[in-house]
Amino acid sequence: MNEPSKFNWTGWLVFGLFLLLWECGSRASPKLQLYIPPVSQIVVALSHLIVSGQVTTHLLTTMRRFLEGYLLAAAIAVTVGVALGYFRFAHSLTEMLIEFLRPMPSVAIIPVAILLLGIGDGMIVAVTVYASTWPILINTIDGVRHIERTLIDTGRTFGLARRRILWQIVLPAASPYIVTGLRVSLSIALILVTTAEMIAGNKGLGFFILDEERSLQSSNMYAGIILVAALGYVLNRLFVVLQEKAMKWRRGMVAREGL
Amino acid sequence: MGGETTVAIGNISCQVDAGEFVSFVGPSGCGKTTLLMSIAGLIAPTAGKILVKGRAVNGPPPNLVLVFQEFNKSLFAWRSVLGNVLFGLDARGKKVRESEGKAKALIELVGLKGFESHYPWELSGGMQQRVAIARALAYEPEVLLMDEPFGSLDALTRLELEDTLLRLWEELATTILFITHDIEEAIYLSDRIWVLSRRPSEIIEELWIDFPRPRHQVTTRAEGRFMEIRNQIYKQISNENTA
Amino acid sequence: MREPKLNGMFFLLALLLVWELAARAEWVNPLIVPAVSKIVGTFSELLWSGQIPLQILASLKRAAVGYALAAAIFIPLGIFMGLFDNIRRALEVTVEMLRPIPPPVVIPAAMLFFGLEDEMKIFVIFFSCAWPILLNTLDGVKNIDRVLLHTASTFGLPQRKIIWQVILPASSPQIMTGLRVSLPIVLILVVISEMVGSTDGIGYFILDAQRRFRVAQMYAGMLALAILGYVLNQLFNLAHRSLLPWHWGMTKRME
Repeated sequence: MNEPSKFNWTGWLVFGLFLLLWECGSRASPKLQLYIPPVSQIVVALSHLIVSGQVTTHLLTTMRRFLEGYLLAAAIAVTVGVALGYFRFAHSLTEMLIEFLRPMPSVAIIPVAILLLGIGDGMIVAVTVYASTWPILINTIDGVRHIERTLIDTGRTFGLARRRILWQIVLPAASPYIVTGLRVSLSIALILVTTAEMIAGNKGLGFFILDEERSLQSSNMYAGIILVAALGYVLNRLFVVLQEKAMKWRRGMVAREGL
Repeated sequence: MGGETTVAIGNISCQVDAGEFVSFVGPSGCGKTTLLMSIAGLIAPTAGKILVKGRAVNGPPPNLVLVFQEFNKSLFAWRSVLGNVLFGLDARGKKVRESEGKAKALIELVGLKGFESHYPWELSGGMQQRVAIARALAYEPEVLLMDEPFGSLDALTRLELEDTLLRLWEELATTILFITHDIEEAIYLSDRIWVLSRRPSEIIEELWIDFPRPRHQVTTRAEGRFMEIRNQIYKQISNENTA
Repeated sequence: MREPKLNGMFFLLALLLVWELAARAEWVNPLIVPAVSKIVGTFSELLWSGQIPLQILASLKRAAVGYALAAAIFIPLGIFMGLFDNIRRALEVTVEMLRPIPPPVVIPAAMLFFGLEDEMKIFVIFFSCAWPILLNTLDGVKNIDRVLLHTASTFGLPQRKIIWQVILPASSPQIMTGLRVSLPIVLILVVISEMVGSTDGIGYFILDAQRRFRVAQMYAGMLALAILGYVLNQLFNLAHRSLLPWHWGMTKRME
């Protein structure tokens, strides 16, 4: 959904209307106000939280865990993915294992992680790594396996050794797939961090949101939700910017985009 | 590559001298590509041997390069034109800093001056194939193998590239083994032509082409003998097709 | 090299064997990592006693309702947005504002409204698969080849017929994609919502087992979940094949 040309007046108008309805509807019924505070109240709560620094530790904690989990997952998944994609034997060994583990939702690993690692940073990062590895791994394997035979033969006819073929041809050729996997994992990592924080955390935005709900501080809760959404949005935008720069050679080509 | 094995090449025995421009022509599916890939060391022959400068071929020989028919699958989409040509020099072991000048010279030689920073997707088919040729020449091979390099290009571009190739060949004195299904192209370009039979292919004819060089698209093709040779080869291939 | 599938099977069996040995020989703490045999035993126990099927049913019920609701609302909405550019532009900003919200963080908000009831999970599931379904449907309709629409007009089809006979079938593969992508999302969110706020369901079961240190049960629950995921996937493929046999054939050929 992108039309970089005109500014979407109608869209913003409708959104503004939506907010207006929210504000008025909420103010009209005091009973409703507990569940859905007026927009203005939420905005006030949000700014108060930010300014007072109340939410800063939570935000930073979540971000730290996210980065650790995501980057670790990326390093592991790309390495393993390239190896599995490139070496047919290794792939034949692990293909079945992967097919069996895939259908299980990664979140189911949280209780096991709690058992093994207790509650806290280690557990949260661990489950994030587990969940984020999958999309990157699958996409990397796919990308490496489907490299044009001609491309590899080109490397061979130029007398390149296997290692150089890997670095100079296989990796660049598979990079669009790898990048797709990395992008999907971005949202997954954030989801896992916040989820783990909700289920078994004492810090972080996930915990914060749940905690505020428990104490019926609905404005703060919604503020927290907005914060997480904003974090996710910023991360995504950043990624797209980096992607554009690194992949400018693909601009004219058809890029297969997952959702 | 999975499935049944077909014997592509029967009994082929021939010798190419340094600096020659030779072509193989034959009916479709007669194994021309297989032959070239074997010479390039990318496929191992099940029987027989290939010698390049007296040394048996066992994997890609270091002084030989193959230019593929499907250039869009062979060029590196993530590198610019310059980057692709530099790859050829890099593969030869030349340091990048010294190579840039050479690369640019080659790019100019194939007629792509000004397109150094373009990416393959921005270029036409003919231009892409020129890049592939420049990249191959950057490797400074003694032998250049070309697998129907102009096969997927339109007729006019083909003629242009034929002349570009001849110009390069004369300047660099490389040995060229050329495959084409275009009989007239083979006659126009080569010193010698081998006509191959159907699978399992054998050489059914060896022809010496002694038209004077440099060749010319109009005058060379207008020579009486040109059409004679062309008809001769055509008849042989037709026989193969209907046999 | 042996048939690749066999390789994979042997490798898997080898791993399971090592696991079994490790647990029995106590190389790992069997309280935390019980033997495979124990897990499988517990699993079949829970299966036949009806415990696991009960929990799975509870989860499936919520998942199905949320999924169906999302499809019922967002497929038509997507079609309208795909057909009418002004509707799309009008709603675009609102959708883009709501889209970045990671579904799990909506759970506490849903809990405010619905407590720990089924409705809470249904709402969360509904919210989570909204965007994949909506956006894929929208794209599917928007990107129908002009030529197809012109063909319909040239045969004099009225608007209503064009929608039913051309637009819907032509966009159905992309709609299917949206539904397919949403399936794992639905499963994930059912589990999460049950772990955060529930008293039954397979997600709750697994977490509860962990809390009570019934470790074998926990693993058994995970196994059940994996099987459920696999089965749902297969069912979806079946549906794909029967509803869109022409497209199924195409995609199979491309693999």
